[in-house]
Amino acid sequence: MKQSTLFNAMFSKVPSFSKVSNGLGVVLVSGLSLLSSHAYAQSTAIINATVHTVAEQGVLSGAVVMLDDGKITAIYTAETVPSKIEADIIVDAQGNILTPGFIASKNLLGLVEVGAVSRTRDGSDKKADITFDASLAFNPKSTLIPYTRKGGITSNVVMPNGGEGVLVGQSFVVNLSGEFDSVVSPNNAVIAHLGAKSKGSRAMSLQTLANELADAQKALTEASKSKGKKDKTKELKRDQQVINSVVKGEKTLLAYADRATDILALLKLKAQYNLDLVLVGARDAVLVTKQIADANVPVMTSALANLPNSFDSLHSSLDNIAILNEAGIKVIIATSGESHNINQLRFDAGVAVANGFDKSAALAAVTANVADTFKLNSGRIAVGKNADLVLWSGDPFEISTKVNSMWINGEQVSTQSRQDVLRDRYISKSELPRAYIK
Amino acid sequence: MQTSSAKCKPTHATRSFALNALAISVMSLSLSACLPNEKQDAKVSINKNPYPSTYQAMPSQATLLTNATILTGTGERLDDADILLVDGKVKQLGIDLSAPDATVVDMQGKWITPGIIDVHSHLGVYPSPQVESHSDGNEMTSPNTSEVWAEHSVWPQDPGFEAARAGGITSLQILPGSANLFGGRGVTLRNVPSQTVQGMKFADAPYGLKMACGENPKRVYGSRKILPSTRMGNVAGYRSAWLAATEYKRAWEKYEADYEAGKNPTAPKRDLELDTLMGVLDGEILIHNHCYKAEEMAVMIDLSKEFNYHSGTFHHGIEAYKIADLLAENNNCAALWPDWWGFKMEAYDMVEENVAIVDAVKNSCAIVHSDSSTTIQRLNQEAAKVMYRANDNGFEIKPKDAIKWITYNAAKSLGITDEVGSLEAGKKADVVVWSSDPFSVYAHAEQVFIDGAKVFDKFDDKYQAKSDFLIGQEAATPVSQ
Repeated sequence: MKQSTLFNAMFSKVPSFSKVSNGLGVVLVSGLSLLSSHAYAQSTAIINATVHTVAEQGVLSGAVVMLDDGKITAIYTAETVPSKIEADIIVDAQGNILTPGFIASKNLLGLVEVGAVSRTRDGSDKKADITFDASLAFNPKSTLIPYTRKGGITSNVVMPNGGEGVLVGQSFVVNLSGEFDSVVSPNNAVIAHLGAKSKGSRAMSLQTLANELADAQKALTEASKSKGKKDKTKELKRDQQVINSVVKGEKTLLAYADRATDILALLKLKAQYNLDLVLVGARDAVLVTKQIADANVPVMTSALANLPNSFDSLHSSLDNIAILNEAGIKVIIATSGESHNINQLRFDAGVAVANGFDKSAALAAVTANVADTFKLNSGRIAVGKNADLVLWSGDPFEISTKVNSMWINGEQVSTQSRQDVLRDRYISKSELPRAYIK
Repeated sequence: MQTSSAKCKPTHATRSFALNALAISVMSLSLSACLPNEKQDAKVSINKNPYPSTYQAMPSQATLLTNATILTGTGERLDDADILLVDGKVKQLGIDLSAPDATVVDMQGKWITPGIIDVHSHLGVYPSPQVESHSDGNEMTSPNTSEVWAEHSVWPQDPGFEAARAGGITSLQILPGSANLFGGRGVTLRNVPSQTVQGMKFADAPYGLKMACGENPKRVYGSRKILPSTRMGNVAGYRSAWLAATEYKRAWEKYEADYEAGKNPTAPKRDLELDTLMGVLDGEILIHNHCYKAEEMAVMIDLSKEFNYHSGTFHHGIEAYKIADLLAENNNCAALWPDWWGFKMEAYDMVEENVAIVDAVKNSCAIVHSDSSTTIQRLNQEAAKVMYRANDNGFEIKPKDAIKWITYNAAKSLGITDEVGSLEAGKKADVVVWSSDPFSVYAHAEQVFIDGAKVFDKFDDKYQAKSDFLIGQEAATPVSQ
């Protein structure tokens, strides 16, 4: 059942056919929207694609990507395409661009349905501390998720606002399948809020963070000294366990900071404790590009934030991302705002390109760079990676382009959202009130 | 005697003359019916423009831009076309124009549109940096603050004006916020650098009055236990205000009539709040109503009929698509986002085709607006999102039509189509030269002209203004490039 030939009978009723010129000399189908979801994992071959691998292979034209069991199982270039391709589903990309699924970040997707409806908000809690695990609240059935998929986004780094201290909670990664098992990686990084404060001093935030790290280091040192001694096996408190994993470099520290002085202070802490540090926001990072690049610290930032919205961000500019990239800093582009317009990520990348950001670097900034930073097995089209893929109608960053098809873990997913249903209701003609149009 | 009433009616406009005439008539007709009014006090009148525009166009020269793709804003697209700007006006559009005295610039491959107009901005009243001292957009002290004028809050040094200019914005309306049922007057500005707001004011543009439906007023005042705490409270608040305004207008009209009749009436007590509302009833001030939901817009239309004014433009009408016919029938413009949604309940029913659905009805007035210091820099892309998503779903909208959403229709909403909003001979030469099709994510506004004067050039630092706030803030250490 699983393996069938290219001439799979299930396509015999599909109306739209097209010849492909990939050397196979066979008639293939397009119009994947007619497919229904299947309970079993199907193998898929995406043929005749312009594949942006965001990996060593670069861009391949006329290529074939094979998916099975949720993974990318083979990639053939135009030259290496075998004479016979076997898969349950054959998709003719018709030369269109295939990219890794985009990975969004720095939002509350699945934690907020309606911003001002407090009982739909689960991204923060007064009591939240470094142990705050908002993935427990993630709602894969949120209407935001199909809408977000319209932007070619297959997974997302949720970063809750957490509590009121410096170490506010932890991020988690989800895929956008909408299934109950969407949480891919819970508690994968600790979030710290630094910088300008409405009440109090930023110095206190830095001191608090430094003290927490110092205490953890000390505890770890003592623990290693007392190894083997039976009487010192005191169980660590939960928050200590988390900060210890940050000091051990096991857990990433996502630090919000904009002003250059805060960034430098964080780089110093990174050097001191060998932290796996990611700068978030980093609006004035252009002042200290060399230091950030030397420390090999990625920057997660917005492509659109060009106004000096505070005294911490006086050097904001649309050129900043290109400047960071040219300085050798790994950039992650994140959308601004809370959660509802994450699908604009591709346009934000386009704006960065329009302002000098290298186009392939921009693609990496919404795929591979995020995957690398959060240790995800996605973000690239390479054998063994998760089959999170998007087939576009054109340039992924261009407004005229839309998602033709997309896959998460090898399964095709829809981009149909509640918005489409509402639109169709109101552009339909009916003698009955519109409430009868469903 | 029988002529007394005629003699008592001053027939000339100026008060001093009328008083003299009256004095004479009183002397000569001591027993006339005018007797009780033998002396009129100086007539009290309302100065409707106490903070007049001092805007002066920047220096310009005759300019001929050639070989461009021109979207006129009137639904036309001209290919390989030229446009001639002379004395601050559009002189001519066409193919192979010549103008011996003009500076000719070859715009091969470029696109030209009218200057972009944003009907909904808070630049200057909620400027960057967003510090407490600059938060001047919402007078949240009473549900009716029709007496406040946004222009009195505008900080002309907001760096957002420069960023918007680099995005092709040539005119924009600055509105108060939406906390109140009546938020106060909005002002339409020319997007030019100036030390004063008067130096930016669009001369003769009508004032706007910001109103707000729905969640914001009832949340702000409900939490203080004063009306409104519900949507019905909102409407009661509007109706009470319009009742008072109707009385106020009647009182002034009676005063005017009595004065005209030679009586010496006491002028009504001036009320700044009611001055503004009366301006709406007189048709001089245009309503700009923050109103998301279909049922509320429909109520606001009936409200306007109850009190005999026009319900104006609905801003942020997330659900405008549900009542597109009603809006067109009532000549309402709808100023909309392409896709902002979900930040509150009244913004939950967003569809990306909203603007296109509203636009598809005959006599409609669909507008793409920003309400944002970020997206105001890319209203072209905001319009593009609507156009392409609608076309993905059965519409056939072309750039020559979509450009109207951010030019002509916006000008219509602001009451300034006689002067701006399209590229037509005689109109102000507000022009944007784009690097390519402006509906592309990669397009840049390369040159921007206001009144024929170049106010921005992407490739010439000379034409890149910088706010007082930002100069001298440059890094002391070198910035790596």
